Amino acid sequence: MIEAGLLMIFLLVASFISIIILALIIVRKLDRIAALNVETEKLKGSLNEMDEQAKLIVRTDMELNKTQEDLDKKITGLYSLQRLSRAISTTLEEGQIFQMIEAHYLEELGFEKACAFLWDDSRKYFELTMQPGYTREEADEIISAVNSQKDKFLNLIRSEKTLSSITKSSDGSELKAQIPAIFKVASFVLSPVLPKEGEKGLFFVGTDNGETVLNEGDEELITILANQLGQALENARLFDKTWRSQQSLEQKVEERTRDLSRALAKLEAVSRRKSDFISSVSHELRTPLTSIKGYAAILLTGKLGDLPKDIRERLDKINRHSDELVHMVNDLLDIARIESGKVAMRKEPLNLKAVAEKVSDLLSGQLKEKHIAFIIDTADNAASILADRSQFERVFINLVSNAIKFTSEKGKITVTSSKTNAGVQVDITDTGCGIPEAALSSIFEEFYRVDNAINQEVKGTGLGLSLVKHIIEAHGGKIWVKSKVGAGSTFSFTIPNEA
Amino acid sequence: MSIHIGIGVSALKDHIEAAKDAVVQARVNLRSAKADLAIVFSSPEFAHPTVLKTIRSLAGSAQIIGSSTLAVLSDKGIHKHAIAVLLLSFPDTVYYNSACVNNVSSGQGTRSGEDLADKLLYGFKNIRRDLGVIFSDGLKVPGSSLINGLQEKLGSSFPLAGACASDNLTFKKTFQYYGEEVFSDSACGVIWGGKLNFGLGIKHGWKPLGKPRIITKSFGNVVQEIDGEPAVKVYQEYFSFDLARLKKELRLISILYPIGLRIPGEKEYLLRSLLAIEDNGAIVCQGNVPAGSSIRLMIGTRESCLEATRQAALEAKRGMAGKNIDFVLVFDSVSRYILLGRRAGDELAIIKEYFKDTPVLGLYTYGEQAPLQSANYYGKAYFHNQSVAILAAGGQT
Repeated sequence: MIEAGLLMIFLLVASFISIIILALIIVRKLDRIAALNVETEKLKGSLNEMDEQAKLIVRTDMELNKTQEDLDKKITGLYSLQRLSRAISTTLEEGQIFQMIEAHYLEELGFEKACAFLWDDSRKYFELTMQPGYTREEADEIISAVNSQKDKFLNLIRSEKTLSSITKSSDGSELKAQIPAIFKVASFVLSPVLPKEGEKGLFFVGTDNGETVLNEGDEELITILANQLGQALENARLFDKTWRSQQSLEQKVEERTRDLSRALAKLEAVSRRKSDFISSVSHELRTPLTSIKGYAAILLTGKLGDLPKDIRERLDKINRHSDELVHMVNDLLDIARIESGKVAMRKEPLNLKAVAEKVSDLLSGQLKEKHIAFIIDTADNAASILADRSQFERVFINLVSNAIKFTSEKGKITVTSSKTNAGVQVDITDTGCGIPEAALSSIFEEFYRVDNAINQEVKGTGLGLSLVKHIIEAHGGKIWVKSKVGAGSTFSFTIPNEA
Repeated sequence: MSIHIGIGVSALKDHIEAAKDAVVQARVNLRSAKADLAIVFSSPEFAHPTVLKTIRSLAGSAQIIGSSTLAVLSDKGIHKHAIAVLLLSFPDTVYYNSACVNNVSSGQGTRSGEDLADKLLYGFKNIRRDLGVIFSDGLKVPGSSLINGLQEKLGSSFPLAGACASDNLTFKKTFQYYGEEVFSDSACGVIWGGKLNFGLGIKHGWKPLGKPRIITKSFGNVVQEIDGEPAVKVYQEYFSFDLARLKKELRLISILYPIGLRIPGEKEYLLRSLLAIEDNGAIVCQGNVPAGSSIRLMIGTRESCLEATRQAALEAKRGMAGKNIDFVLVFDSVSRYILLGRRAGDELAIIKEYFKDTPVLGLYTYGEQAPLQSANYYGKAYFHNQSVAILAAGGQT
């Protein structure tokens, strides 16, 4: 019994102790739970704080990203605007200018649809010039809608202002409301194209992407593009005008050249025929002339019997006139031959002074008769030329005897030479009566004789100067005359210096 | 034996001429080898049967698969209005088969995935299959379900790399190419087997931010509630925007701050872009969002995005373990194209840095499919958003 009582007491005590231990454990656990709860709350707080910070980060990040997107859009827009401007400004064909605005440029500018139309004032109608992003049918619908309300669109052109979905001003607000339906877009920019001359128009871009948000930058970019289009149109039109006038000028020049060539060919043919004619006539004349002169000479010798004085006088005349005729026919023949190139100039070095002296010897009788001073003054660096001796002597004889003929008694004839770029220039100056200005241009023509008292007295063929001109030109030179009535004349010619 | 390849890219305005041009370039690069498979990527405007017929007439008996894209990535750069043709000539030791399923959205994506897998497996009895590449409609085909269906038949760890076709950011219609035909609402693909090596890298570069939250109610790709409140409230709190403003800014928010899904056992978060916000505050995502998932708000920058490209390229290269690489395919999210903006070309330059002279061809996608932990690509494939998937492949020598 005692043992049982002790066991009971022990069990009671043990239970009591266990309860106390358990209570202590529970209390500690509760403490830990409370501490953990505090920790959890702390963690929750931190997490919430972190979440609040995350919110701040997200909002700031969003702003940054939007700014970056805007910036990107602007940079891309500027890049494509630059490339587009280059393409447009280098196009000089009006029809090609609008075709430069390709779909990929529009995309870079943030649009997928565009069209442009020009006002045809004669037809009172807006003409479509491009429609990227639209089918032909859609474009037809748009243009008929635009033309049905042309006054509103013309007003926009006149206002010279850009209209867009973000335009705030009340001008054109009615049109602004209608455009999305006409052009089937959500946002748009419509800007006038204003070349200084000719047809003006409108440039439209739009997007049906409802998310696209237009800003002033977009409006500005499209306005710049429209201005460039206007400028390009102006350039193209100006170029076209200049090109056309140049074309017509070139055509005229071509026509005139053709006319002149034809006239020249005709003239050459006539000249050739004339030379041929002169050549054959001269030959035909020379034969009977030789006979006439021969018989007259025989008669004059008296071998066929004495001649009465008056017959002899007449025979003398026949003889003299025959000589003149032979002379004239020879000159004509020479001119014809030189003109047709049948006479080759056998060039050799000639001393100008020697030639002039020889000529002065030949003509000394006439010089002395009229007491004319003959002065030779050749420059040292222009003393020698390359020419055909006999032909060149004929030039000198003709020019000097002409000078003697028109120089009055006690006059002076001067032969000078000088070096020029073209070769050697020879001037034969007289103190004669001079040549009227009107005659100067014709003086080297065949059979032309200046109408003056001396010519009426002294006979001449009118072939001498023409022959001289032909000889000089056959040498590659030029001849001209300077003269004043009463103040003498200077005949000048050049001979190219090939030596 | 190496795989012979030829790539042609053309931006000619006439679509038929462009297609001819691209195939002729590819044929020249392929030299005299016979083309077995043609992969075609093009901007949506090229999506026309006459274009495919032109390719068929010039590419001989090659099987043709492909898809539309916002832009074509290639060694020549990024082209927005272009067509690219990759011609592949396989040695006898490499097996391949292509297939296509249509009207995917009318049924369940899972079912279509299973059908596609069955078609692809045709003729692959007793042959080891190594890799599958899938192109699907990025707007109509539920990307997550499609991949689940494919995995049902191909095995849950079968390596898959997929790209959801894109359009020119109008989000209206995308196209898939199979044989001479152009489809929408479909999925086509090719699987390879035999002596083929490949390396796959997929990364996005977005980092988690803020406190973790739990999806408490969702259906398919719609998140209805987060932490017991309308899903949109999270975004409203973060941005301090009202519903209208949030809807207006959704495109940018979706690209910059998508939802990150925590996948148990995986290090990387799976991204989910935001497609729409419903009036009841539910968020429509691109890809499935299971209830009970732990999620975070994700944040990405251009730099983190490019760094991810570097890592993806490195992983793809590592996967090849120094073996011969014959070609590289890039499936790059359009979100990255938008985020990178003028620096989109930098991403291509980074990829070229890793693969030097190996021909590269890629497209922009409305979603990507690949294993999450790409270093071990024998993991389960997931449907990704905003990622770049890089696939390097070569015949065994």
